[in-house]
Amino acid sequence: MGDPMSKRTERRPNEARRASALQWLLSIAVAAAIVGLLITLAVDERAIGSLQRGYASAANSVLRLLGHPTQIAGNVVGTGDFGITVVTACTGLFTTALYLVAVALFPTTWMRKLAGVGIGICGIAILNIIRLVSLYYVGVHWPAALDVVHQLVWQSLFIAFAIALWLLWAGRAAARRGAAR
Amino acid sequence: MTHGLPARVGRFVLVFLMALAALAALWSFAAPTYTRGIAALARPLFRLMESPNVTVLDVQGAETWIYRIVGEHEIAAFTWFDRYTFFAIVPLIALFVATPGLGWRRRIVRGLLGIGALSVAHVCYVVASVELAYAAMGLRTVGPLAARTLDGWQIAVRALWEAAPIAIWVALTYGAWKKVFAQLRNEERAEGTARASWIGALGALGWKKKEGTP
Repeated sequence: MGDPMSKRTERRPNEARRASALQWLLSIAVAAAIVGLLITLAVDERAIGSLQRGYASAANSVLRLLGHPTQIAGNVVGTGDFGITVVTACTGLFTTALYLVAVALFPTTWMRKLAGVGIGICGIAILNIIRLVSLYYVGVHWPAALDVVHQLVWQSLFIAFAIALWLLWAGRAAARRGAAR
Repeated sequence: MTHGLPARVGRFVLVFLMALAALAALWSFAAPTYTRGIAALARPLFRLMESPNVTVLDVQGAETWIYRIVGEHEIAAFTWFDRYTFFAIVPLIALFVATPGLGWRRRIVRGLLGIGALSVAHVCYVVASVELAYAAMGLRTVGPLAARTLDGWQIAVRALWEAAPIAIWVALTYGAWKKVFAQLRNEERAEGTARASWIGALGALGWKKKEGTP
């Protein structure tokens, strides 16, 4: 017969390991659900069309605030001379999904993950509107550079922004976990 | 709280953007060679996927043109991949350059592994997107389930192409970031301990004063 106290202390790490494995599996399931949701959203013409029109409308509002007589027609924003079309790739959907998957997989509490989701969706959406407005400016004033700014500069800035946002959130979540111990 | 975090992330972003600017300038010279390499790897994969092989790849500068054999000694342009299709290799290298806590040897080895993995992803992207386009246009027969979910597959391939550089970088630098997060946790814990001992000291001081008062 062994000491019952030592048995109890032996069980605790196992239980903790089991709980951690369960949370990890749940996080993977949530991440997979996010990917599934993204694909469903991107395939559904009504849903993706609404998102495209939403971004076009937001960019149009900002441009009008800045004094440009732009009009919106479906997912196209512009004047008679120049316009930008918001397609699926311009919605930041893939970057948002990647960020959300990274948040879902990071080991922290679900409340902190929820906060991370909110910060990410809002942050990436705001950056995307800035991107659309800036592309309009580049297209009007510097059309030769539009391709490079669209494909290279903004693609890289989006990567940098999403990673920085995630690192700030994950670093804070990791530090809070340290403070709580 | 976590005072070092914004500075660390800021430094990472700054190094990333600087490396990116330098590498982007070099990319215009390297792009045609990289594109030729991807096409060379994609050709046997097309031969493996198609029976008979109907796809012909032609690299013009940094653009990849896809032709389809439509008759005897007759080909027709089908689609093309622009010069930015494989640009993600540049932000991937910049991410490795900017990652903190990696020694230079490890950085180079992991960077090379990352480039290799992204090249495989690029080859698969070219082949998969062309084959899915054939299926969508009825030029290739697929099963009823695949036909119903074709849009989803096309979106998934596109999403994987966009996510590949970041996913590869995360997978290869996870250990380094784990160390950074552990360091942040320790700093926060040490800060908490220091705060607690200050509070304790102040409490003890207050108790002594109370005791001394008549």
